Amino acid sequence: MDKLLRKSFALCAVLMLLLLAACSGENAGSEGATGEQSGTLNAKIGVVSYLTGAGAAYGEAITQGLKLAQSEINEQGEVNIELVIEDSAGEAEQALSASQKLMSDDNILAIIGPTLSTEFFAVAPEADLNGITIMGTSTTAEGIPEIGDYVFRNAIPEALAIPTAMEKAVERTGAKKVAMIYGNDDVLTQSGFETMKKTAEDMGLEILTIETFQKGQSDYNAQLTKIKNTNPDLILASALYNEGAVIMDQARKMGIEVPFVGGNGFNSPQVIEIAGDAANGLIVATPWFGESEETKVVDFNKKYEAEYGELPDQFAAQAYDALYIYADALKRAGEADRELFHEALAATEDFEGLLGNFSFDEIGDVVMDVKVVEIKDGKFVEFE
Amino acid sequence: MLDFINPYYLQIGSFILINILLAVSVYVPLSSGQLSLGSAGFMGIGAYTSALLTINFDLPIFLGVLAGACLAGILGIIVGLPSLRLTGVYLAIATLGLGEVIRVIFVNWESLTRGSIGLTGVPQIGRELLNLVRGFGFEPSMIGLKNNQFVFLLVFILLFLIVLATIWFVVRQQNSRVGRSFSSIQMDEKAAESMGINIMYFKVLSFAQGAFLAGLAGALFAHVMGYISPSDFSYHRAVEILIFTVFGGSEVIIGSVFGAIFLTLMPELLRFVSEYRYIIYGIMLVILMAVRPQGILDIHLLGRFKGIKRSKGGMR
Repeated sequence: MDKLLRKSFALCAVLMLLLLAACSGENAGSEGATGEQSGTLNAKIGVVSYLTGAGAAYGEAITQGLKLAQSEINEQGEVNIELVIEDSAGEAEQALSASQKLMSDDNILAIIGPTLSTEFFAVAPEADLNGITIMGTSTTAEGIPEIGDYVFRNAIPEALAIPTAMEKAVERTGAKKVAMIYGNDDVLTQSGFETMKKTAEDMGLEILTIETFQKGQSDYNAQLTKIKNTNPDLILASALYNEGAVIMDQARKMGIEVPFVGGNGFNSPQVIEIAGDAANGLIVATPWFGESEETKVVDFNKKYEAEYGELPDQFAAQAYDALYIYADALKRAGEADRELFHEALAATEDFEGLLGNFSFDEIGDVVMDVKVVEIKDGKFVEFE
Repeated sequence: MLDFINPYYLQIGSFILINILLAVSVYVPLSSGQLSLGSAGFMGIGAYTSALLTINFDLPIFLGVLAGACLAGILGIIVGLPSLRLTGVYLAIATLGLGEVIRVIFVNWESLTRGSIGLTGVPQIGRELLNLVRGFGFEPSMIGLKNNQFVFLLVFILLFLIVLATIWFVVRQQNSRVGRSFSSIQMDEKAAESMGINIMYFKVLSFAQGAFLAGLAGALFAHVMGYISPSDFSYHRAVEILIFTVFGGSEVIIGSVFGAIFLTLMPELLRFVSEYRYIIYGIMLVILMAVRPQGILDIHLLGRFKGIKRSKGGMR
């Protein structure tokens, strides 16, 4: 027993020492001065991302998109951006700690992230108070840019995407009666649902039933049976892709053949992978259409696949664009100064990004066109 | 010169202090033999009560926090009474269920709690305190501090005092008639009852104390974060809190304190390995649990430390 005790303490002590050593090493390394040298503008951008835990796939796509953009921007030579990436594990507390760490470094010019809206709500007021520009690349919930002057986003909010998708879907199918299903324990799907409901009411659609489910649920037969009995023309599903794909699969097996209209979280190539043929008939509005023939999109796909061995999703694309928007603002600001940078970013207008023509409105929200796409024969195609 | 007062460190420090309160909220019921996993739920009650009161009725934070903690305590009594019949694992499952019920209420009571979007704009302790001292004509720059340094320092000190008071109370209680009754119930309920100890009273008391402390921690959490959502009080949190106590050592209060400090600090210290940090964290938990199933600190170990001290004193 005594031996074990001593051993465990020794192990503990060694680990702690290692940690301390590693931490100090990192600090020493990041003392690099931010300033101008030989015409290039140097800047450090902090990134808070969801890298460990259940939703790590989002954070990974985002950081990969950022890193790809970073290497391209730095190659062009006008600005030299250094990314300082911190993990938030999808928790508001951790996100706040991570961003505190970034903000207490005076060399950090601005922040990108965190990934989830729940994290963003905790972090953004703090950044705003400290006068540090912060931009969400995947935070689509309502009320985000309203947090403060220094708060921006380039993610298309549900309030913009969903109505477009619903209008187009109703136009083609002539639907009059709809059923709704949504995840009520997630910010994204809940605010998506609210938008759907409002739009449906505005459009004069009859809502037959509203069903809810929870994150990680695997059996949706109860909800789907109810929906099937009401016999809707269209199903509005505000779900993230992992649950959404399963819902579609079970619905098709049950014999529900009507199209689904989904929110932003439903928009992922993963849906086809998980649900297979059952995914056909999903309609979503998206800023990012990966199968597009446009040269910039094809190029991006190629580069991304060469680098990471997988095709990019919308989170990667939005993050990629976000860093370009930052770089553009930095060029216009002329120096790595937090205040000048903030002004330059707020003035961003008609920026030609990967996702299309991009501007900020007066509160820092997105102004851009969205595309409506559907899954047909196991592929995303533009909706006609 | 006062650079060491870094908001980042102080923020972590504040979370550590809140986590200590949470760990103690598990420790207290445990000291009377009741394993409660409802801390996350009680924490949520405290947080939402205080946040809603301060947002909607402009109540001072101090009163909001008190109301949140008291409501959680009252709920603790209400729940504690019927669950007296349950012991061990059954009680753990019942309280875990309670926590989930509370969270689901937060998710579904949308008109009040705004569902899973959560409550934004919860007044923050630090900023209110800053405004208060400014009212007395005091500026942080007078002692050479930046505004945000001062805010975080104040929050830290305030939390530190609360935690200190709590630990002092629990330790004092342990050495009193109440504490002795708790531990006798933990050892053997039947024997304790035959000795004339009112089991019902003491069990509900310790359960309600745990609920009160969790509510207090939750209310403070809300006013430190400035934003709360139901996902902050999920099953995940309940397990995390339990691990603080079990990991640090559930027999002594210092074990809970140590567990909370160590396990909150760990993920932050491991930041430099980014993606791998939770792997390392997990491995450490497994190793330490395998080596010391009773937790890192226990009575024997503390006794040995004391023994060493005493023998040294004897030498001199």
